[in-house]
Amino acid sequence: MNTVETRRKRLAEAMADAGVDALVLYGNAWQNDYLRYAADFGILEGEGIAVVRRDGETTLYLDHPLEAERAFAEWPDGEIRLARDLVGEVAGIIERLGNSRVAAGPARHLPYGLVRSGKRFEDATALIDRLLMVKAKEELECVRKAAAVADEGYAVFCAAARAGRPDYALIAEIEAFFRQKGVDDNFMIIGVGGPEVRGMAPPSGKLLKTGDMVTTELTPCVGGYYAQICRTLVVGEPSDAQQRAFAVFREALEAGIAAVRAGVTAADVAKAENDVFRQYGLGNYVTSEYTRVRGHGVGLFPDTKPHILEDVTTTLEEDMSIIVHPNTYHPEVGYIVLGDTLIVREDGSECLTRTPRHLFGTSVGGEGR
Amino acid sequence: MRRGLMLWREQELSAADVKARQQRLEGAMKAAGLDAFLVYTNHVRSAGVTYLTGFTPYWSDALLLILPGQSPLFSTALSKRVGNWIRSVNPTAEIAHSPKPGRLIGERLASAGCKCVGVLELDRLPAGLAEEIASAADVELLDGTEVFASVRAKPDSAELGLVRRADALVLEALGTVDPASRHAGQAVAALERVAREAGAEECYIAIAPHLDRDTRPGRFGGAELGRSFAVRLSLAYNGVWVRRTRTFSRDAALQEQVQSLERAFAALAPKLDPVSPLGPQLKGLAAGADLARWFLEAPSGTLPLTEVASEDRDTGCRVPYGVLSAAFMLGGTTVLLGGPVGLDLLPNATEEAA
Repeated sequence: MNTVETRRKRLAEAMADAGVDALVLYGNAWQNDYLRYAADFGILEGEGIAVVRRDGETTLYLDHPLEAERAFAEWPDGEIRLARDLVGEVAGIIERLGNSRVAAGPARHLPYGLVRSGKRFEDATALIDRLLMVKAKEELECVRKAAAVADEGYAVFCAAARAGRPDYALIAEIEAFFRQKGVDDNFMIIGVGGPEVRGMAPPSGKLLKTGDMVTTELTPCVGGYYAQICRTLVVGEPSDAQQRAFAVFREALEAGIAAVRAGVTAADVAKAENDVFRQYGLGNYVTSEYTRVRGHGVGLFPDTKPHILEDVTTTLEEDMSIIVHPNTYHPEVGYIVLGDTLIVREDGSECLTRTPRHLFGTSVGGEGR
Repeated sequence: MRRGLMLWREQELSAADVKARQQRLEGAMKAAGLDAFLVYTNHVRSAGVTYLTGFTPYWSDALLLILPGQSPLFSTALSKRVGNWIRSVNPTAEIAHSPKPGRLIGERLASAGCKCVGVLELDRLPAGLAEEIASAADVELLDGTEVFASVRAKPDSAELGLVRRADALVLEALGTVDPASRHAGQAVAALERVAREAGAEECYIAIAPHLDRDTRPGRFGGAELGRSFAVRLSLAYNGVWVRRTRTFSRDAALQEQVQSLERAFAALAPKLDPVSPLGPQLKGLAAGADLARWFLEAPSGTLPLTEVASEDRDTGCRVPYGVLSAAFMLGGTTVLLGGPVGLDLLPNATEEAA
């Protein structure tokens, strides 16, 4: 069974269990996971809604003519409709479902026009979120492939990083590599510099110079599934201060990974990471002032639930795929990232990331190693 | 997401340029009796906020609030840590961070005493944001799409300059495609590298690998290329999107015919007038080439490019600039081409607007 068939079967089972007759799943290129679970199409432009009936019949409505044409080409088995008036057409479809039980999601992102169209929806968020978090074997295979490409991509990134190059040239190298590998999408941000750097963002034209730390997270997508790698390199040779700081992050990552197993909570993993920082007097730097999350789920969305935070009580289950990344600011040297993608197992985790947990350096004027 | 170069370039799009746009919207709001105006943005539906501020989010979403006589308020769920970056590329707006950006907007609307609030594409506003606004303000949300469109339809020289710059990048990148390429991935990789190294903010590439079999472009990076294939590059530069499609063939005779058609299109495109029906203007573009289908896109709302005309709806339209996608039959082969149109005519419209 391929991933699409697997998802369709799981979706039908979940709908039957919940007694739901139809699902209305919205998506765009930012929030694509709900839509993609039901429809095997990676939307780029415009917006889409999948209507899933209890018998598994799924119709994908797209409002952009080029995207509808692309969907016909890329998903030849799909039932696709160009719906320029997306909200009006889908509201009409739902109306015709009569007194059926209809659930819709993601609740926050549903078009306001659909919500106020008169039909009352149940919230499908919990139903879909669970399917997104706990994955089938076929889905995990895609995550594995994405993690392998992420490793390859980071090697390309290291080779591209050298003094004098602008930050966006590194993105150009990576994206070209990913396109050549048939990777359709990638989430990626970058940071370049020293203690003045507080996080990562899109490239701004900064030229790499000796001593700069270059942080990135690469998140390639294979078959719709994302995996992530976070690493830091230094242009030239890492200084003693940079190495000392990095050692704390490596210890935190390893503590976080050691905490991962089915049955623990996301909070347990975050606490294991953060305790290492606290142990070194860096507890202030694991707060929201300096960092967002200590990891997160990966799958059909690059940054999905569960978020690894000390106040998130979601229990980790076998076959969840997550990244543990104790990324944050270090007061002496600046922002550092380090993270590996894992699959949660009954008694621990399967680490998919193969790139060594090193603070990489480049020889001055030469390529990364 | 946006992964390419993003920075404020005052010489290309100045603070004065975007403030002038904000003032034009304020004028249209006043005429429509609106107390305030809201524009939603994420990296898919970015164009409204980009037009008013020059800013495009690389990720997440936000609301822009326009209140007459005040700096725009950009309310986002992006964290404060990203605030410095947002300020560096969004200098004309006040930046506010909140896990509930809609509620923050609602509070500001309430404190300003607003009653009638125009919303660009109200029906597409995320329901969660609408609920947050309603939780903090007793206001009537009205669809402001037409109000915004009336402002947006008028081109300005800054935008046209960016369109020309973006199109130059597209042409440079498409110039790297070798008609003799055997694999889509190779062609696409070279194209993407050139586009991003030249400063593209983002690019989407679609390929119809075997035009003899299927003329619908898709993301087929792993496909082998047939005798004739088409590449469509959609590229963002400093918030402005341009799309071009070109056909390539290993058949030397067909390639020559395609290039002849493209030269004819290149000569005609700047003079194509979107205000008038386009079908008649495209007829007889080149000897032996029959127009099979076409459609025109332009920025008008939150989407960077929206379909505004086609062979079925060819009534003419006022747009700041247009992007044509067309299919021609050339000796039994479908040839795809397209690109920006009417750029030579639009400066006149700018003067008219002034």
